[in-house]
Amino acid sequence: MSGIRVEGLGKRFGTRVAVEGLSFEVAPGEVFGLLGPNGAGKTTTVRMLTGLLTPTWGDATVAGISSRHGGEDLRRKVGLLTEQPGLYDRLTGKENLLFFIKLNELDEDAAWARALGYLERFGLKGREDEPCGSWSKGMRQKLAIIRTLVHDPEVVIFDEPTSGLDPDSARTVRDCIAELASEKRTIVLCSHNLAEVERLCQRVAVVKGRLLALSAVRDLRRAGHALQIKVAGDAARFLPALAALPFSPKALVEGGLLRVLLSDEEQQPEVLRALIDAGARVYHATRIERPLEEVYLELVRA
Amino acid sequence: MSFRPRRALAVFWKDFLDLRKNRGLLGSMAVIPCVMVLVPTLMVWAYVRNPDDPSLRVMARYYEVSVQSADAARFLIDKSLTDWFGLFLIMPLFIPILISSSSVAGEKERRTLEPLLASPATSLEIVVGKSLAALLPAVLVSFAAFVLFCISVDVVAWKLVRGPLLPNGMWIFGVVVIAPLFAFLGNGVAILISARVGDSRLAQQLSGLVSLPILGMVGSQVAGVLRAGAGYYAIVGAVVLLLDLLLLRATIRLFDRERLISRWS
Ligand SMILES: Nc1ncnc2c1ncn2[C@@H]1O[C@H](COP(=O)(O)OP(=O)(O)OP(=O)(O)O)[C@@H](O)[C@H]1O
Ligand SMILES: [Mg+2]
Repeated sequence: MSGIRVEGLGKRFGTRVAVEGLSFEVAPGEVFGLLGPNGAGKTTTVRMLTGLLTPTWGDATVAGISSRHGGEDLRRKVGLLTEQPGLYDRLTGKENLLFFIKLNELDEDAAWARALGYLERFGLKGREDEPCGSWSKGMRQKLAIIRTLVHDPEVVIFDEPTSGLDPDSARTVRDCIAELASEKRTIVLCSHNLAEVERLCQRVAVVKGRLLALSAVRDLRRAGHALQIKVAGDAARFLPALAALPFSPKALVEGGLLRVLLSDEEQQPEVLRALIDAGARVYHATRIERPLEEVYLELVRA
Repeated sequence: MSFRPRRALAVFWKDFLDLRKNRGLLGSMAVIPCVMVLVPTLMVWAYVRNPDDPSLRVMARYYEVSVQSADAARFLIDKSLTDWFGLFLIMPLFIPILISSSSVAGEKERRTLEPLLASPATSLEIVVGKSLAALLPAVLVSFAAFVLFCISVDVVAWKLVRGPLLPNGMWIFGVVVIAPLFAFLGNGVAILISARVGDSRLAQQLSGLVSLPILGMVGSQVAGVLRAGAGYYAIVGAVVLLLDLLLLRATIRLFDRERLISRWS
């Protein structure tokens, strides 16, 4: 089976535990988000998945191969976009790619034709004979992405792929990631761009040294939804009535708009009744899902 | 662990290409053979210029009491050339240090090591490819410098010797057999050190310390304490061969992915 299966994965550097107790699975064709604040252990985790670091605890099976013992068989099937582009500055774009084509023992003509397709798509065609040292940050990042894909990997791991890219290029990269997933590849995406994660990923893991949450993006947002209520006059008058409810929900006021955060659907009628009993004229009430950002911040700040 | 020559060759291809484009490194590499050819030529020229100078006899007698006045210049030329081989060895030793330090520690500095380690290439293939890219230039430059050295010394010495002085058996043996062994030593030391430090300049400086014993050796020859010759250099070569084998073992053991990734921050 391809895909990724992580069981009790953890890593300690000296006395510092970078990350521990990670367990999750990623199916082929899925884009899996790995979220977490700086220093949460995302890069450490993807290094363990690609066999660059040996786990202190647990193991991961990637494309059917144990990352602990996989060695070159594993690395042949996995593409890793490292946090830093890591290009050879004196070499040209073409030479950088050819090096990785050679390292993967690919048919050079076929692989280069494939790479040319990506160069064209990322707007780098015509620049491939210039030394990479003279390239802009975004160009370097895009070339690093092509390098990651040059051997047609089954599993692709992106560590912050759109950092440093302009909106147009970021969009191209996102489309490319979606396309890779539609080709039944398994994809892990580490990112700080929550809008991007929301758009691309079906499921996410939030980590901060350990697993804080693991769920579908939709469920995560639903886990705490909000009721947005329009009342006549200043809505702040009704805050005491809400606070008096047995589950005392958090509420935000913006003029006549009340946003009440709820953890359970059964709380909705209670909120409305409390408001009406307190004399509120309710024009409308809408259920809204919280943006991923809000859920995320709540998780990592806790 | 398997060994695929194609991947080692890919590493060699990349490093060699990178070296060809690295003007600064090529420049510092070019200085060494120039010195190695010019200095001994000047020395020989100094003896040939005035072979009957009585002080040459005094100098020669310091090393060898039985030297006749007429042979003093020739004796000193032979001795200088034999001793010079000790210094000549600095070239095959030092060129790989320059190249390997910048290729291994340089990959860490520029963060190119992680993508390389994430490729299918094994540590052994990476080490072999990088070593080839350092050894080949060192050996080729040493051979080329040797040819130039023979020509320029023969031209200058012709007036006195009336025939070709070089190449002689000791020098050919030295350049073909001992110089590559020294290249291997410099490369091994540089790879080992730069795998553990994250800065190519520091790696170069630390590795450069292995040339100190050579200076000690040559100093002792000049002081007349050690007497150089084919047998003497053969013993030096044997010791270096032993060191090479030890280094090879240590390099294969210590050059592992985890250590390389973890030691760079
Ligand atoms: N080689 C190493 N040696 C020692 N500690 C390390 C090493 N690599 C990472 N760490 C530590 O492990 C923790 C997790 O780091 P990691 O780079 O995985 O975080 P991250 O989630 O990728 O952060 P960011 O979002 O900033 O990229 C940090 O505290 C870091 O200092
Ligand atoms: Mg990171």
